[in-house]
Amino acid sequence: MASSSKTEQKKMLILKSSEEEEFEIEESIAVQSGTIKNMVEDDFTLIPLPNVDTETLIKIIKYMKKHGEKTKSNEKDIEEFDKEFVKKSFTELKELVLAANYLHITSLIDLLCQAFADRIKNKSVKAIREIFGIPNDFTPEEEAEVYEQHKWAHEEGKEHIDHSAY
Amino acid sequence: MDSAPLLSVLNEDLLIRILSFISHDPDRKAFRLVCKTFLRVDSFHRTHLRILRPEFINTLLSKFPRIYSLDLSACPQIDDGAVAMLVGNGLLPDWCRRLKRLVLSRSTGLKSAGLEMLIRSCPLLEAIDVSYCWSFGDREAAALSFGGSLRDVKMDRCLGLTDVGLAKIAIGCQCLEKLCLKWCIEITDLGIDLLSKKCRELKELDISYLKVTSMSLRSVSSMEKLEHLAMVGCGIVDDEGLHYLGKGCPSLQALDVSRCDRLSSSALAFLINGHPSMLQIYANHCFHEFPTKVVQGLKDLKNLKTLILDGAPVSESLFKIINFNCKYLIEIGLGKCKGVTDKGIFQLVSGGVNLNILNLTCCSELTDDAISAIADSCRSVLCLKLECCNSVTEKSLYLLGLHCSFLEELDLTDCFGVNDKGLYYLSKCTKLVCLKLGLCANITDKGLYYVARNCSEIRELDLYRCKGIGDDGLYAVSNGCKRLQKLNLSYCSEITDRGIECLGHLPELSDLEMRSLLNVTGTGLTALATRCKRLAELDLKDCANIDDSGFMALAYCSRNLQQINLSHCSISDVGLCMVMGNLTRLQDAKLVNLYNVSTNGFEVALRASCVRLKKVKLIASMRLQLTPDIVQTLRARGCRIRWD
Repeated sequence: MASSSKTEQKKMLILKSSEEEEFEIEESIAVQSGTIKNMVEDDFTLIPLPNVDTETLIKIIKYMKKHGEKTKSNEKDIEEFDKEFVKKSFTELKELVLAANYLHITSLIDLLCQAFADRIKNKSVKAIREIFGIPNDFTPEEEAEVYEQHKWAHEEGKEHIDHSAY
Repeated sequence: MDSAPLLSVLNEDLLIRILSFISHDPDRKAFRLVCKTFLRVDSFHRTHLRILRPEFINTLLSKFPRIYSLDLSACPQIDDGAVAMLVGNGLLPDWCRRLKRLVLSRSTGLKSAGLEMLIRSCPLLEAIDVSYCWSFGDREAAALSFGGSLRDVKMDRCLGLTDVGLAKIAIGCQCLEKLCLKWCIEITDLGIDLLSKKCRELKELDISYLKVTSMSLRSVSSMEKLEHLAMVGCGIVDDEGLHYLGKGCPSLQALDVSRCDRLSSSALAFLINGHPSMLQIYANHCFHEFPTKVVQGLKDLKNLKTLILDGAPVSESLFKIINFNCKYLIEIGLGKCKGVTDKGIFQLVSGGVNLNILNLTCCSELTDDAISAIADSCRSVLCLKLECCNSVTEKSLYLLGLHCSFLEELDLTDCFGVNDKGLYYLSKCTKLVCLKLGLCANITDKGLYYVARNCSEIRELDLYRCKGIGDDGLYAVSNGCKRLQKLNLSYCSEITDRGIECLGHLPELSDLEMRSLLNVTGTGLTALATRCKRLAELDLKDCANIDDSGFMALAYCSRNLQQINLSHCSISDVGLCMVMGNLTRLQDAKLVNLYNVSTNGFEVALRASCVRLKKVKLIASMRLQLTPDIVQTLRARGCRIRWD
């Protein structure tokens, strides 16, 4: 765990999950996480992640490795990877988004939020509640009021989009 | 058992991000209804609101604390009285202090006093749209001039605006960056000259259809920051004007000179010479000849992204030069151009180009070979217009289905060679959003079935005069294309009530044109009206066999209807009164040749709706039969009456 090396060897970091398991990873890939990047700047090489369990950490490392190799030619390849990556159970996605948020991996957060959004699309309100396990905390009167507002009061216009950039 | 409930995991930041990925209206509405947290996140972060009824404005705006953009164009009855109620009671509501953008398009009931009150109440207002307020003139312009922070003003079709009003705006709103004066035909060179002297920050200017001369372009050429200039249909401007532009406007990036009859392509060459970094050139129906010198001049346009040359004569050398020099071209318009051949297209797309939008309307010399070249080279093509390309057959559609999976918009109107097999191949383009098959006589329900089954993203479908389409086709569409919003079935005479009933399963249908469907009766219309709640525009012209039962259902159920064409329908006095009276969002009605409606019936119906009607079309003989009182009332409320 030398902090700098005279040879061409890439600098490695060790990430430790909440269950005390250790994973080696190249620094250049790990710094996709803003949190890890900060710790590296403070000269840490062993990075404890008490909020991330082993299973989730393995998936996140897999994501970072794939995205660390991003070049112009393998864009489609990465797209396919991302598509497969979010084909997970709801519980797994929850754990992942918690971890991604903690680790500040912007692209992963966006990917996961998009996945959640996709699961909301084209579903009824009841279906969304069921899928996400969210209880309905509206009273019938409150719910009716919101519903009425939808129908008569207003509708979504196109959000004001700035077309000045080509 | 879940370790943590979802809501504790998804904090507000994450919820906002998820919400930002949900753009589709029904999905956002569902989101709001899930639980109080979701509602709060949406309400708190929403920045734009489009209000449908004026009585809700204040309550809604207090619930959404971050609104800074407001669209009142769909709101009937916005007039000075309504404005006074909103902002005139002494205490200025909070939202006024936040408002940056206001859309009042078509608010024909509003006058200068109300407009001034609004402008004065919203000190931060940056953008205002008063387009199509056709009676607006210099008084209203004076009201606008109180908006010192205004940057973006749209005044299309404010027919009363003259140089005097424009001067007031120019002096009062010196930060102006975008100004649209399209169709404000009273404006002359003097007004444009003052504008150019006072509004030095102007980036975008639209002077289309104005009766200005080349002297205006001399003034415009002094606008240092001007990037976009639109001057469609400026029939008096000649080459001298383009010479001025060529010497000035250092920041010019986009120019639209479509339909400027007096311009010659040589002047264009001079313009390009002065502005080699132009990004967009629109020259529809403008040039009658393209001499070699001009074609050569296109060599310099290395950054060109958009080139629209509809109606101009083109040649292979033109395509060669474009292909060689304009490497960033993504949109090309060759509609109705003479001389577009297969060979020319080969030249245009050879070597793989990044064209996204190709307009080849009426390029009838093109065959499957040209489309084959396009499909092969432009794999990321998004929009392809092939109206009247009669030699295109299923071979082309096969290749499009095979290679162009990103295709979103395809226009095959009047393409005789399109048949069911072709549609089968085309259905591989699953991302299609807009498909036009009008006048395609050789397609039947079978072909439509393939499209309906695979292209679930379709929002707009045009089947105008497709005689082979019937109820089965509509059944397939209503099952497969759940996102369909706009549908044209005019003159598809095989369609009966059964087909129209199927349309009830399309939850987002908002715009339906079904002219002359003689096999549709009141039963069909009733089924449609009760289920398609989002119907906003409906054209029933010549549907002579629909009786009052259908119109009654429409009157009770179609509460979102804004525009209706009932010409030549068998509606009665009572039916018309119910439709016009009950539908509180109806603003535009075409009521020509209603043989079963008496003069009294018209009077009553018009009176019931005069408060919100903005446009109505009546048969000319009605002019003498209606009382002058009702005509005056309509006019006073800002309604436009068109006599047929």
